Amino acid sequence: DSHIQYERVGADVTMKCGSMDWDAAVTWTANGTDINESRLNGSYLILKNVNLSQSGQYSCYEGSSWHLKYQTSLRVGMPPKEPVLMCRSNNYPKGFYCSWHLPTPTYIPNTFNISVIHGTKDMVCEKDVIPKNRCHIRYLQLFSTVKYKVTLTVTNALGKNSTTLTFDEFAIVKPDPPESVVAKPVPNNPRRLEVSWQNPSSWPDPESFPLKFFLRYRPLILDQWQHVELSDGTSHTITDAYAGKEYIIQVAAKDNDIGTWSDWSVAVHATPWTEEPKHLTTEAQITETTSASTSSFMAPPTTKICDKGTVVGSGAVAVCWTAGLVVAAYSVLFI
Amino acid sequence: PTGDSWGIFTFLCAALCNLPALPALNCSEELGAGQSIQQTYDLTRYLEHQLRTLAGTYLNYLGPPFNEPDFNPPRLARAERVPSATVDLDLWRGLTDNARLAANYRAYSRLLCYLRVLDGQVGTAELRHRLAHFCASLQGLVLSIGGVMSSLGYPLPAGPAGPPAPPGAHAAPNDFLKKMDDFWLLKELQTWLWRSAKDFNRLKKKVPPAVVTLRLEARGF
Repeated sequence: DSHIQYERVGADVTMKCGSMDWDAAVTWTANGTDINESRLNGSYLILKNVNLSQSGQYSCYEGSSWHLKYQTSLRVGMPPKEPVLMCRSNNYPKGFYCSWHLPTPTYIPNTFNISVIHGTKDMVCEKDVIPKNRCHIRYLQLFSTVKYKVTLTVTNALGKNSTTLTFDEFAIVKPDPPESVVAKPVPNNPRRLEVSWQNPSSWPDPESFPLKFFLRYRPLILDQWQHVELSDGTSHTITDAYAGKEYIIQVAAKDNDIGTWSDWSVAVHATPWTEEPKHLTTEAQITETTSASTSSFMAPPTTKICDKGTVVGSGAVAVCWTAGLVVAAYSVLFI
Repeated sequence: PTGDSWGIFTFLCAALCNLPALPALNCSEELGAGQSIQQTYDLTRYLEHQLRTLAGTYLNYLGPPFNEPDFNPPRLARAERVPSATVDLDLWRGLTDNARLAANYRAYSRLLCYLRVLDGQVGTAELRHRLAHFCASLQGLVLSIGGVMSSLGYPLPAGPAGPPAPPGAHAAPNDFLKKMDDFWLLKELQTWLWRSAKDFNRLKKKVPPAVVTLRLEARGF
């Protein structure tokens, strides 16, 4: 029968060949490859100071008959270090979620157990399917004076570890960044940029729990940001942009009264409106317009010939029909 | 002895709390309920800010463990007499404007009461000064809420019902428990101020300034 064996990195491992006596003649293999006899102590396999690469399938065969006597899967790993736990409410007042991870891998399977205590009550944190290391809780009561205590325990075959977070309901409120940030130039205003955005979709009730916003912007060529804090509204017009320079703009959100600022939104780029350069001479203007008009009568090679919707003007129709006849003639030839 | 002073405390509280309901300010009707709500909201934010400094000083005065940031004691039954802001989520959502305002009015009236008694007991002059200032601002908040209620045509909630409790009934049996009471008082105050910001945000959206004029007309003014 098959076993799984977990051992710590750096440990000394002794594998017995099942119920065989110490002095029995056996052969050990690791992942199908024979193991040198020098590693054996009688019928025991000795692995000193094991490392991760020594993980694998170890099998023991009786000397002459080659009967498989024992098989084990060796998994070399480590006990868990203290996990990193984070709890946050991005959907206040609905609830909050906690997510966690291990600072260093253990290389063997781990089980995570999370407990949430609110005063004297035990609450259930429902595990999310995706992402895996996350669970969420719904608030039953709002405006609580009692703190929440979240304990995460991680266990594996080689040990366990845990961490605890204690916090007030309002301390973990942090919205997601604003969405759909759009920055546009304002026609005929070379120093303005119009920025607009939307509340993050995860924030369930902006009417009762309004958000305030923080806008930052700078021209790409400079390092220093300008900041504007906005207590309401989801748009703002920048009026001091440097003419003709490309800007980078970001917005962050925060509950009006509690919690912390969201991360910065995706950055948008925009350049303020600039006046079109004037034509140098009138002659140049004329040649430009005539060449433009003739080119429009030639069916571009990539588009379908005589697509009904694109035919405009009698001249174009004439060209179209001619082309159609030519194609028809060729196709008759090739049938 | 602590027993006597707490008896006085409960008596004072009952006496102060049985004062007739404060009359609404006439000027709030002219401003419109919408603006009064905004002002009340602003006041709660100001008080919250003030409380942070006051609580810091007071908790240091109480000493450890009360001034430790992760001090998280269990709630003892005796602390229940301080009005709690904690409320079921759906219940809070479904509160009528009247109920919402009344809950705030009642809570702050009682909290003010307890704070005033505290003021008479604290040791240092700096603390007394801070507490007095805070009480004055809190009084302003109670008046402001009363003003909003009157301008919307709601009756002001009556003072606490029933005769005052016999002296010594709520006395803390020892110094540590007395400090615990103070700790919870400050905590509830902090929670109420943070809740009120949300209460008044909700009211702001539901009661635009134009509504008041319509209401007054409907009542034949």
